[in-house]
Amino acid sequence: MLRRLKSIMFFAACCAACTLMAQAPDNEAPGQILGGSAKSPIKIEVFSDFQCPACRELYLTTITKVLKEYSSKDKVCVIYHEFPLAMHPHSREAARYSEAASRLGQQKLLLVMKVLFSEQAQWGQDGSLEASVSKALPEDFQSLKKLMQDPGINAAIDKEVQLGQLKDIASTPTMFISYSGKQQKVTGMVSYLVMKDYIDKRLK
Amino acid sequence: MTLRILHWMSRIILAGIFFYTGYIKIESPLQFGAVISGYKLFPDVFHPLIVNYFPWVEIALGFLLIIAWKKIIRSVAGAATALILFFIVVLTITYVRGIDASCGCFSMDDKISPMTIVRDGLIIIPALYLLAEPLFRKKKPEAGSLAH
Repeated sequence: MLRRLKSIMFFAACCAACTLMAQAPDNEAPGQILGGSAKSPIKIEVFSDFQCPACRELYLTTITKVLKEYSSKDKVCVIYHEFPLAMHPHSREAARYSEAASRLGQQKLLLVMKVLFSEQAQWGQDGSLEASVSKALPEDFQSLKKLMQDPGINAAIDKEVQLGQLKDIASTPTMFISYSGKQQKVTGMVSYLVMKDYIDKRLK
Repeated sequence: MTLRILHWMSRIILAGIFFYTGYIKIESPLQFGAVISGYKLFPDVFHPLIVNYFPWVEIALGFLLIIAWKKIIRSVAGAATALILFFIVVLTITYVRGIDASCGCFSMDDKISPMTIVRDGLIIIPALYLLAEPLFRKKKPEAGSLAH
């Protein structure tokens, strides 16, 4: 009888531990959620470089529309990962601004990302990142600069780069699209209409 | 006999290529979409159409290459030749424009290079053979009559 009771208690303890583990927020998971949530049926993870022209095109023409049309209705979760390439001299600094902006909240991060991609041609040539970012966050720019002094910013970017390397990323943008337990890797720019067609078919 | 072997080898090789290239595109529609975007040749509105229907055209062509009877095999070979020529033209234009894009031929991360263009050029050989085959067959009795 006692043995049976012990078994039941052990089983209950295991169940409770599993539930707690499942509910605990994964603070260590790298990447920034741009829209949607963990409950969204489709998850798009984007590894991107702010100085890469294809990443710019993907973000401004496809990702922003996915965020507006699907993530706002919690149908698609978009997670952004920094993957600054060594060939781009200013992309690491741009990633630092983006990582710091994420600590000010999702909306501020989206504003910074939009300006970084929109003005890529400008800062990509002269490195005038400060001028671009200050336009996006005029009131929070000083707090952003303070946040950028945190060594944790570089550590977070390094962690995302390591994750990308583990996933065999050779070029940017690279997306990992998960749906119904399956994941597919997509390298390069995908037009919004193709992405929409793919999402709509799976959400039917 | 040799012509018959060549005929069926050409049909099977071409069909196999079309089945395979169609299948990999159906398997990864988004990656195929990325390949189409990479060419920077077609307007965005056509991308879903190409992604959804083009791989099935390849599969259908592969199927026809296997089952087509004598009278229509030349038309099927003509369609295959036109499709391969279209690929070669698209790849050449993209390469000449200096665009760093994927070929999307036998694998989705195969970068366009002179090698990929030459390789696609070689695929046209069995298609051209099937197209020109009646010429070889007609010439045979003529050669025999000259010997008499």
